[in-house]
Amino acid sequence: MRSELLNGMRMLDLSDERGALCGKIFADMGAEVIKVEPPQGCATRKIPPFLDDEPGADRGLYFLAYQAGKRSITLNLESADGRDLLKQLVTRADFLVEAFPLGHLEALGLGYETLAALNPRLIHATITPFGDQGPGKDYKAADIVSWASGGAMFLMGQEGMPPVQMSVPQAWLHAGAEAAVASMIAHYPRQVDGLGQHIVVNAQACVVWTLMNEQAMPLLHGDYLRRSGVFTGAIGGRRKTVYQCRDGHVSFLIAGGAYFNSTNAVIAWMKEEGMAPDWLAAAGGLKTLTPSGFMAASAADLKELDDAEEAVQRFFLTKTKKELWQNILKRRLFGAPVANAADIAADPQLKARDYFVTVDHAGLDRSFTMPGAFAKMSETPVGPQGAAPQLGQHNHEIYGGLLELSQNEIVELRAAGVI
Amino acid sequence: MSCLPFAGIHVLDFTWYAVGPVTTKYLADYGADVVRIESAARPDGLRLAPPWKDAQPGINNSQFFASFNTSKRGLALDMSKPRAREIFLKMLPWADVVTESFTPKTLRNWGLDFDSLRAIKPDLIMLSTCMQGQTGPHRDYPGFGNLMAALSGFYHVSGYSEAEPCPPYGAYTDFIAPRFAACALIAALDYRRRTGKGQYIDMAQYEASLHNLAPMLVDYFATGRVLGPVGNRSERYAPHGAYRCADEDGHERWIAIAVADDREWRALLEVMGNPPTDARFATMLGRFRDRAALDDLVGAMVRTRGADELTAALQAAGVSAYPVQNCMDLHRDENLEAFGFWQWLDHKEMGPSPYEGLEHRMSRTPGALRRPAPTLGQHSDEVLGEILGMEPAEIEELKREKVIY
Repeated sequence: MRSELLNGMRMLDLSDERGALCGKIFADMGAEVIKVEPPQGCATRKIPPFLDDEPGADRGLYFLAYQAGKRSITLNLESADGRDLLKQLVTRADFLVEAFPLGHLEALGLGYETLAALNPRLIHATITPFGDQGPGKDYKAADIVSWASGGAMFLMGQEGMPPVQMSVPQAWLHAGAEAAVASMIAHYPRQVDGLGQHIVVNAQACVVWTLMNEQAMPLLHGDYLRRSGVFTGAIGGRRKTVYQCRDGHVSFLIAGGAYFNSTNAVIAWMKEEGMAPDWLAAAGGLKTLTPSGFMAASAADLKELDDAEEAVQRFFLTKTKKELWQNILKRRLFGAPVANAADIAADPQLKARDYFVTVDHAGLDRSFTMPGAFAKMSETPVGPQGAAPQLGQHNHEIYGGLLELSQNEIVELRAAGVI
Repeated sequence: MSCLPFAGIHVLDFTWYAVGPVTTKYLADYGADVVRIESAARPDGLRLAPPWKDAQPGINNSQFFASFNTSKRGLALDMSKPRAREIFLKMLPWADVVTESFTPKTLRNWGLDFDSLRAIKPDLIMLSTCMQGQTGPHRDYPGFGNLMAALSGFYHVSGYSEAEPCPPYGAYTDFIAPRFAACALIAALDYRRRTGKGQYIDMAQYEASLHNLAPMLVDYFATGRVLGPVGNRSERYAPHGAYRCADEDGHERWIAIAVADDREWRALLEVMGNPPTDARFATMLGRFRDRAALDDLVGAMVRTRGADELTAALQAAGVSAYPVQNCMDLHRDENLEAFGFWQWLDHKEMGPSPYEGLEHRMSRTPGALRRPAPTLGQHSDEVLGEILGMEPAEIEELKREKVIY
């Protein structure tokens, strides 16, 4: 059932991978999101990998995940009749999101000013790689290029190796989600004064916002951070953040401050199992760490911490991810398994909260399980509203129903290559 | 009257660290009156973390805290004291929204859980955000976004090989969840305006963040495939990766390049002066088949070029490319500059300080960093006077008793 949260709102999604998550969030919140696709289909239908590694317009995993719950119509914006149809849709829409190169819609006679004259209520979000002002406003950016431009990529990877991306590209997801927030901000006053507006989202800036304020370091502390693999170099020395275990890896950090109790608790656990080296067992803890300090700094301090890391590494190698996770929870350690898709799918916490949702895909005669509600809302539950649409699946419903075109008119539009 | 979207919206904000404060920052920068309630006994952990003004630690000297708390007012209450909780409850009718990000038992122990608050303020909207949600066996798990990034799969899909994950920098999931939380919160405000109904938003950082790995999870449930790291490899682009350019002033510089088709490949070669290349690289299939050799070739071609100059040349030829920027580069970036991204605000104790601006711009009701972050308790007197009509003498007495600061 459609969420009541935004029920009655309609978004036209003309974007590709740069904005797919925006429309997905709106669909999850109950808006009717109409994916306006060119006759050959949205570019996101071609993003690999594919279901069972068999390419197909409905089989891309990206498409199945981020276009879920949307409706699909085909519309050829290169034709004058297609542009007229879009204008008719705009008069009936509350939101529009797109990620065309700057000036593309204007060249088609469909720029914000034109659309706003047709529908002053319209909230129109344009997602860009680098904003609409600078020398790079017309630059192209694949996801990895945006990830690099915003500073996230420089900080990932090992010294002596190239900076590395995340294997599930992230930059445009941040930009899409930002477009959703900005559209909601604009929606709030619009529902009182009836006036929409134009939003420009800057993907580069969205990536900068993932850096945890590391970006202020060069200005305030005089230097910038280098990538260091699994180490964190916050203050006074580098500390290991990922340890190997019997069947994978676990994230753990030996440190003072917020990590002080957790560090002591793992030492206590090692002692219980006779795995604490004599020097560590005898000392009863790491003398260089304090509850108030994040890290210690002298050479002797660092040696002690290095030795402790080595001992913890030996200990963790005797444990599985699952054993470590159970003890992290029981002993209140600051740690977490480096979970993979199988671990997440089996997580009892997510099961207890009925997190994953299964939707039926009629065209593929298959059902798909996917992330569910991004938040649990007591009055207006949100979450996936259905499977991703097939190309033009809702042409009749939208053109016939919403625009009240006759069957004959729809047939003509199709014959003329407009839809 | 202010024309900002959330003018007149009142928020009592108990959140700390990143997810909550970045969420309420969206409201504050767009006009809501957000009162950050902090305890001097247990201040926001970001106040204890660098970067510091002039590299000097201090409770009011952290840019980490400051950047996430613009446009808000600061009230310092020691919530462990019953009188502080009484003051909070007196303020409650003023609020439209209460936000918090403790582990679930904290507010229950204070008697300030949603049900208790709703009894006083029936149309309250409340956002609770913690690691794993308010229910379930792991609800009391404490942690930070770096651990959550491991638990929710981001570490596993990062790096060159499964032998050694190369995690994303920092508390990555802290910067996914706020956008989802802000959408939920603003939509809840709109829903309340339409229906008169408040509601409770139980936001698990875990559950929001998994949306950024949705294709991987759809794949696993459908086919059982467990995705691992693939380095900089792509199934859409070749070449695709980061390539080392000429060093500048002793600093290594890299460029990210993604070539989508054969036309772009020819354009790239043209920019490089058409060096002799293996003919098999002329097609996408050929480039896919030997990515390692292709990366070596591109690496050799760009090694003597300047990252900035090469970016301009490749982009002019229609190839997607940009320098792999370090945190210093970001401050010299012409595109961020043109967007007006960096802003200097005059903080009460830190003086002029560098803040990140908004990631978007609006044509009619532009948001703004309306004021720098508050020092601890900077607005205690002002807020208690304004909202509760508290007299200065009473405030002084409460300060002596260390109920407020």
